[in-house]
Amino acid sequence: MLLGTPQFRYVRTDRYGLGVASPERQPGEPGVDSVEKAFARGDEDALREAYLRYGGLVHTFCRRTLDESRANDVTQDVFVSAWRSRERYEPAKGTLAGWLIAITKSRIVDHVRAEQRHALRRSDNDPSNVPVTAEVERIGDRLMIAEALRCLSDRARRVIALHYFDDLTHQQIADRMSMPLGTVKSDLRRGLLQIRHQLESAHG
Amino acid sequence: MDDRHTRRSDAELEAILRDIDPEDLELLEPPAEVWEGIEAAVGATDGAHETVVPLASRRRSVRRAVTGIAAALILVAMALAVTLTRPEGTTVVATASLAHDAETFDALGAQAQAQAELIVEDGRHSIRIVDAALPVPEAGADLEVWLIRPDDEGNVADLVSLGVVDPVEPGDLDVPAGYDPDVFLVVDISVEPRDGDAGHSGRSILRGPLQGI
Repeated sequence: MLLGTPQFRYVRTDRYGLGVASPERQPGEPGVDSVEKAFARGDEDALREAYLRYGGLVHTFCRRTLDESRANDVTQDVFVSAWRSRERYEPAKGTLAGWLIAITKSRIVDHVRAEQRHALRRSDNDPSNVPVTAEVERIGDRLMIAEALRCLSDRARRVIALHYFDDLTHQQIADRMSMPLGTVKSDLRRGLLQIRHQLESAHG
Repeated sequence: MDDRHTRRSDAELEAILRDIDPEDLELLEPPAEVWEGIEAAVGATDGAHETVVPLASRRRSVRRAVTGIAAALILVAMALAVTLTRPEGTTVVATASLAHDAETFDALGAQAQAQAELIVEDGRHSIRIVDAALPVPEAGADLEVWLIRPDDEGNVADLVSLGVVDPVEPGDLDVPAGYDPDVFLVVDISVEPRDGDAGHSGRSILRGPLQGI
């Protein structure tokens, strides 16, 4: 059956260009935790909900590494495969975003390698010289960091951005945001933990 | 999977973080056909296997739509269904005259007409829509063919989607394995908005029981 296109939630952006995923949660709307558990259980609507949340993330990864047509195919394939093997996803071990990105990564690498084998067969080059995996890994890591930033509170995200993007010191951030120095430090610390959690989720 | 990645130091994390550029933050939405493809692939699987969840919701939504369907219709169909024969090769083994019920069906189908034929080929069933005059649904909606298993009172006990049909050239639709047309014996055509709900919309336009020739 053909169905309507879900409306993506990445609607707001802040001054750092970070799409903010559903910042004001509607009453009754499931949170990330419950979406992850619902997906693992195979609840009806969980696939759609996962696609709404992470379709853009998966597709962006594909578009950064493949042409448009292949990117569409791989995005579709990732969600279909993930849904069919959902019993293998364990929410306790990592985020759904990370699990999806790990699947995406392996699909992308398969595609790129197949393409290169095809090209190399014609040109007699040595396929071992091609650093496919490292580059795909690098892009995946950056996208997972961006995803982690989207999941932070507005304040924590701003603190992280001021420190790492604008190179402000802890004290400068505290002054700029009229916050105690300790709060700046703890926001940074928690932000890094969140980023680490997302990254590790994508590495299985 | 790889300790190199799972044991990153804070310094490594911070280095990647500092290196993030606007391109990394920009999300590209997939085009609509990606979701349609996902739904089609997952829906096809659900139809072919015993996936309970979607069927349960279909039952709920359709029960509302068809409560009150004539019990007599079912009795006739059941009497005739047992007489169905299964010859070898491609054979039309039953037909259904599909009719519009002005009281409970969607008005889009007020002038609609169609016959359905149950075909057996090498032991596999399909439904062929013939002699059809089907309405073209509104933009963003399709016509979909279903087989309904009625209960003793003529209400919908269960149903399965056979897929979307072209109003102009409806053609053949396979009956998924595991669905016996002797039991799923009522053919239904409905208008289905592309609204993300895989269940029956409740907007039937034509319906009729399969009867042996």
